[in-house]
Amino acid sequence: MWLSLGIIFSLGILIPGKSSLKLQYDRDQVLHIVPETFQQVQHLQLLCSTLMLDLWKPLLPEDIRAGEDLHIRIPAPLVEEVKDTLDQHLISYRVLIPDVQKLVDQSMPREGSSHRQVSGGYVYTKYHPMEEIYQWMTQIQKKNSEVVTQHFLGKTFENREMYYLQIGQPSNKPKKIIWMDCGIHAREWISPAFCQWFVKEILQNYKTDPKISRFLQNLDLYVLPVLNIDGYIYSWEEDRLWRKSRSLYENGTCYGTDLNRNFNSSWGSVGISFNCSSDLFCGSGPESEPETKAVAQFIRSKKSDIVCYLTMHSYGQLILTPYGSTTKPPSNSEELMQVGKEAAAALTGKYGTSYKVGSTALILYNNSGSSRDWVHTIGIPLSYTFELRDMGTYGFLLPASQIQPTCEETMLAVTTIIDYVDKKYFPNGAVVLTSSSLGLSLCLSIVLTWTAL
Amino acid sequence: ALIPLLAPSSLLQNIPESGHKYYLQFSTEDYRTGEDAGNCLATVLYPKKKSPPVVSIKCSHTKDQKEIHEEDNRIYQRIRHQSKPITGSNIPDSYGNIEPALEPVWALAVAGSSSIMWEKSTETLGYFLAQVKSVRQWIRKDNFTEFDYTVLLHEIPTQEMISCHMRLTWLPGHPLKVKHFCASESHSVDEGSGAESGSAAAPAAGKGANF
Repeated sequence: MWLSLGIIFSLGILIPGKSSLKLQYDRDQVLHIVPETFQQVQHLQLLCSTLMLDLWKPLLPEDIRAGEDLHIRIPAPLVEEVKDTLDQHLISYRVLIPDVQKLVDQSMPREGSSHRQVSGGYVYTKYHPMEEIYQWMTQIQKKNSEVVTQHFLGKTFENREMYYLQIGQPSNKPKKIIWMDCGIHAREWISPAFCQWFVKEILQNYKTDPKISRFLQNLDLYVLPVLNIDGYIYSWEEDRLWRKSRSLYENGTCYGTDLNRNFNSSWGSVGISFNCSSDLFCGSGPESEPETKAVAQFIRSKKSDIVCYLTMHSYGQLILTPYGSTTKPPSNSEELMQVGKEAAAALTGKYGTSYKVGSTALILYNNSGSSRDWVHTIGIPLSYTFELRDMGTYGFLLPASQIQPTCEETMLAVTTIIDYVDKKYFPNGAVVLTSSSLGLSLCLSIVLTWTAL
Repeated sequence: ALIPLLAPSSLLQNIPESGHKYYLQFSTEDYRTGEDAGNCLATVLYPKKKSPPVVSIKCSHTKDQKEIHEEDNRIYQRIRHQSKPITGSNIPDSYGNIEPALEPVWALAVAGSSSIMWEKSTETLGYFLAQVKSVRQWIRKDNFTEFDYTVLLHEIPTQEMISCHMRLTWLPGHPLKVKHFCASESHSVDEGSGAESGSAAAPAAGKGANF
């Protein structure tokens, strides 16, 4: 139904005499009617066509049926008259929306809302094409330059620039790094949506939330909102269900490497294809793809400081630990499972969404060359793949209406992990006292001091 | 030996000379609403020689037959009341949206493609319905509804999108009739269903589509 708001605007522009810029629906009402008889249907059809009423459901008067929902928007000046005629014909109705303009206003970003403070009215509950994400990154850095810097990582096959955002309190002491990337697989749109949401949440709350403030002093968060930029753009413009990159193989007859099979971890051994036409094509060699190389080179250069690696995918509702290429457990498998389970529990606490935790080889399938595995083999202890909502009902085509709940619950899981990392490497970390969290911070500092003894 | 798998409530038993037997316990939910729809206990035996698995399954239902029939009828009426033959494409669309008028048609696609997936899946290959690429209704003289679909099945673990053509016929109270033909790139053989399916063993089919 809310999709119909788009139709209102275009209809408004077509009506002569109305300003095409400012469309007002002050006190317009939407009525819900279920016609009971054929006579009622006829009367309603007549009413709609004579008064040129805006039908929200169904879209055409000829589709009005007895026993089926009817939603009509009535312009404010006609509301009384229409209700009178409905009463006269014994047609019962319910007011679905008492003021359409109020609803329109609520759904648009306004001055003074926290979104505007962070990045000027960006809508985080929609999917954004790459152009908008590039602009968003620039805005985020501009508006939060005291804690955010944007950095160049490398170029994609089609020569596009890859950027990551570095978020953290500037500091003289050495900081540990948490890396998060989204969008390795083009069609998993909820993943870049989460990276953007994550950045927004951190920046909106770091001044007031003691937990976030604490870890931003000790840690730098590096966020790569879209790793497979070429593929992502291709999924917007050509093929929504595209997965791989857009590199050219076989004399220009075949496209794309599965970037998550292209890393140097048992590369080419299992769960892959050497055939370019496969969706699991692992490339011509480990790190054969510019995108893989850009990420791997960077992580290698910072590996002594990176303590946690998170890579976001969809779908399946899983938190996956190394490895995919073997069932042999990693050296710190207990820690990985423990922290993973805590993260999953925090996530489930929000809306009841259930996540499974375990190694890829055991709970999903075998695969080699994944970024998560490679990162662990070079010595970064906490390495997780998130497979976000859902479980296959919409799969890759997760409705935008689920962006918010998915991101909210995932936020809890990710901050649980970041929190753990923060406490593990900075057990005597500074505690920030704010008026709203004095009690919490006092308890925290008492506990921390106590454990340090 | 019985090997406990990490997935909750499932066991794998290797029976030498015979095959792999899986013991499964799982819950089901309504595809549309997410409401709990009951639990199932099943065994699946994959024989050593490649042949269809042997399945035994028992489910508890939370909905009674009357409720199911009423819902089926509501869907049926929504389809029959359209003034023109239904057509559609990209359901859901790129943004995950499904037009309300096309919901019944999507629901039928979910049920029908589950029958394709039932036939295609193996011990190592599984499927999800990724998207309905196109649908076209054929008007019949009798009361049955009939549709031609092109559906995309997401194949795990190959990650491929398999395009299948599906011809589906339905009347509430009758099992769904599904004929399919799937194109496949990775395998050299295209496969399809010759005769009608609507296997009574499948939890989804048997008593008509349960939505």
